[in-house]
Parts: sequence; structure tokens; C-alpha cells
Amino acid sequence: MNDDILICRCEEITLGEIREAIRNGARDVNGVKRRTRAGMGVCQGNTCERLIQSILRRELALTVPIEPHTDRPPAKPITFGALGGDHD
Amino acid sequence: MITIKTYDAVIIGGGIIGNCVTYYLAKSGLKVALVEREDVASGTTGKSDGNVLIADKQIGFATELAYASQQLFKELKQELSMDFSYTERGSLYVIEDESEWAVAEDYVRQQSEAGYPFRMMDREEIHADEPFLAEDIIGGIEIGCDASINPMLFAFALSVESAKLGADIYTYNSVRDITRRSDGSIRSVVTEKGELFTEKVINCAGVWAPEIGKLVDLEIPIIPRQGQLLVAESTFEVARRKVVEFGYMMAKFGGSDYQRNIDPKLEELGIAFVFERTTDNNFIIGSSRAFVGFDTRVSIEVMRGLAKRALRFYPVLKDINITRAYAGLRPYVEDHFPIISDVPQVPGFYIAAGHEGNGIGLAPITGKLIAQLVTGQETDFPLDHMHFSRFNSKNQT
Repeated sequence: MNDDILICRCEEITLGEIREAIRNGARDVNGVKRRTRAGMGVCQGNTCERLIQSILRRELALTVPIEPHTDRPPAKPITFGALGGDHD
Repeated sequence: MITIKTYDAVIIGGGIIGNCVTYYLAKSGLKVALVEREDVASGTTGKSDGNVLIADKQIGFATELAYASQQLFKELKQELSMDFSYTERGSLYVIEDESEWAVAEDYVRQQSEAGYPFRMMDREEIHADEPFLAEDIIGGIEIGCDASINPMLFAFALSVESAKLGADIYTYNSVRDITRRSDGSIRSVVTEKGELFTEKVINCAGVWAPEIGKLVDLEIPIIPRQGQLLVAESTFEVARRKVVEFGYMMAKFGGSDYQRNIDPKLEELGIAFVFERTTDNNFIIGSSRAFVGFDTRVSIEVMRGLAKRALRFYPVLKDINITRAYAGLRPYVEDHFPIISDVPQVPGFYIAAGHEGNGIGLAPITGKLIAQLVTGQETDFPLDHMHFSRFNSKNQT
């Protein structure tokens, strides 16, 4: 597959960048995320996470499933006003 | 599986400190190995903001050390082949009222006299320069030399460069034991994947450094101090530089007579406003401080408090989205100085840990000092303040 293919649309991270992250030691989705920002954009990996899992399996020649990345709150984006406003 | 190998030094911990120590030792020509339980930058380094500041240091030695480390970042930007998002935009303390202004003026006068680029900004100038700042802010302190990095990318860049210099980087490999000779000196590091023979071990395990210390019968007084951060979506330029509330220093060091004008609830959560621009067009909002053991869960209470405090300084944030919140553990030492030290009672054992919230900024100078110490050169700074012997009453052997 072509290294120029976009995998993470939010942060515009390509397959080539993800492969390089794996060559530099990433073994799971969090490792790819920390090295490339893939999955750190507005959708928080909803779109690309499964793709990244399958790239990891292929590049590392693994047959076991790859764990998903660590889920972080909020479940969906929330504004500063809604979270920290005075209305409770 | 690692076959049995021999090294000049073995570094334990693959965070920013362990990677800086590894890099400077490898650069000195030593054959070194780094052992990390998980991935590079998977602990505190991966949960940090990218502060390379002198702004939040106590006057005198702490500032000198941080300033020296800033200079090393500039060198490393040239030396390392991978980019780590180094930017030097300066930082700004924002001042809420006249009582803070008086304290701030005195602080700026002392830092300027010592030769650091600190200056006061009055109401007119600060609002012209940072147009989204809350209108009632009366002024600020600009610190011209302050910078930011992406700490994870920095750690990765160092590990890649160290490997080029011949270092072995063993990730996903736990340390099980440290063996010693009859005279107490270091003999080897036993890891999950093999035994590494060495006469020197550098404990760079941050909040986990006490666990490693126990393997050589040392009690290392580092405790985790949790901090939570909010990450915002990519948006317009809310602030030009790093922005910190002046009360941050007070929240950080405590014990002062000074009292911020803040909701007691936020004070209790140790919340102080910190805004950090990243090079990815988004920003990070901090900060909180709590002693909750090794708990890295975020709490809705702190998230709300962080958002509330941020809105007090930047009302414009109200319609901007938060996409992520996370918590990390600062390696806290009671006197706020890191431990950068040899350990006379365990010949060959060194500690580089306990930097609390200063580990990112102080990482290069820590690496350089440890390399000087390990190779028997004179250190750039006296290490008395940072020596492990200051806790000796607890470690009489």
C-alpha cells in the first residue's frame, strides 16, 4: 500500500508516518499516538483506531488482537463554557 | 531475549530523564543500555505539558539550573535528527490585582538584576499584546527566554539518537533485581529478558524510583503528585505565548503568606491557570495538584475547576471545545529539588529523579550532570542541593 494514504484525517497522519512510528518502537495504538498524533484530533480516534490496529498487526506480524488506545474523557467534545460555567 | 551483555552503565526508566541521561552518556563514549518497563515516554513524560521555563523557578540556584538547561535544548535542536516542536515564544505571568503587582515587581527586579530577561507589562501593553485576556487583568510579567517542546517527541528523538550512538534501548522489559558484590557495589541488573552486567546503574524511574531504590536497600523519598490537564480543539490563536497566573508559583511552592483571590474550592483542588500553546494549533490547560497515590483517573470536579479557572482569565474560551482530559504523576520531593546524585553507600548507584513539575525543562541539564558525575568530570553545577545525602537520616546503613 502507498505510504501517502491518509489514515488519521483529523491530524492528517499518513500510513508512512505510522509505519515509521512502528519502526521506531511503537507496539500499540498508544505508542503510535504518542509518536504521530494519530487519533489525537477532534474525533479522538473514532475513525482511524481500527485502521491503526490492523496496520500494527500487519507490520509486527501479530496474530493476537491489538488493544484499543486509552479512552479519555470527555466522551465527546464539550465547551469550556458548558464544563466550567456557573450553571450546575 | 537479550543474551548476557556487559555495559559501562545501565539506565532504568525510559522517560525524558532516562533518555537525556542515556543520550549524554552515549555521547561521552560509554556503552550504555536503557531499560524501560513499557514504551518510551509512556509514564509521566507522556502526560506532561512541554514547559521549558525559568518563569516558575525559585530565585537563585533553581533559576540558574533551568536557564542552563534551556541553553542545552537549543544545542539539542541542532544535534538531534528528529524534530521535537521546540518553540521559543516566551511566557507571561498575568497579574490580577495590586497586591500581586507589588510582589511581582520585587520578583522581576531581583531576576532582572541577576541578568534574566524578565520585565513588567502594564495594563495597556498586555491587553494590546494579548487581546483575549480578561479585561480586569492589570498587567503581567514577560519572560523572554521561555520555550516549549513536545516532551514525547523529545524522548523519542533522544532514544533514536542514542541508538545511533550505540546505546541499546530495551523497551517492554522490566527490571527484576539489581545484584551486588560483597562490598555492596553494583554487579548487574536482572531484567525480565536477561541479565545486564554493569558497574553503574542510574535510577531514572521518576515516581517509580523508590521501587528501584528498594532493590539496593534505599528509601528514596519521592511521592506521586497528580496533575490533570485539559486539551482543547484546534482553533484560532487564543494567546501568543505561554500564559500562567501569578498565583501559580504560590500554588506550586505553598507555605507563603500570600493568598490568591480564588474560590476556596479551586484552592483546595490545587488549581492554578496555565495555558500552553502547542505547535499543533491547539492548546493545553492546567494545572492541578493532589496527593492521591498512583491514581491517574481524571475527576469531573477537577475538570470543571480547570475550565472555570481558565474562563476567569480567557472568557473567550467559553465556546471552544475540550477534546481530551488526562492525569499524570509528578515525582514530588518535599524540598522541591530533584535528586541528581551518586549514592556513597551503594557504589556505582546513581539517582536522577524527583523533578516534580520541572522534569521536562530540567531534563537536559540532568543528563549532562549525570554524565559528568558518572565519567568523573567536574560537574557544571555543585550538586549539594540535589545530593541524596540530604535524606541521610532515613538511610543510615
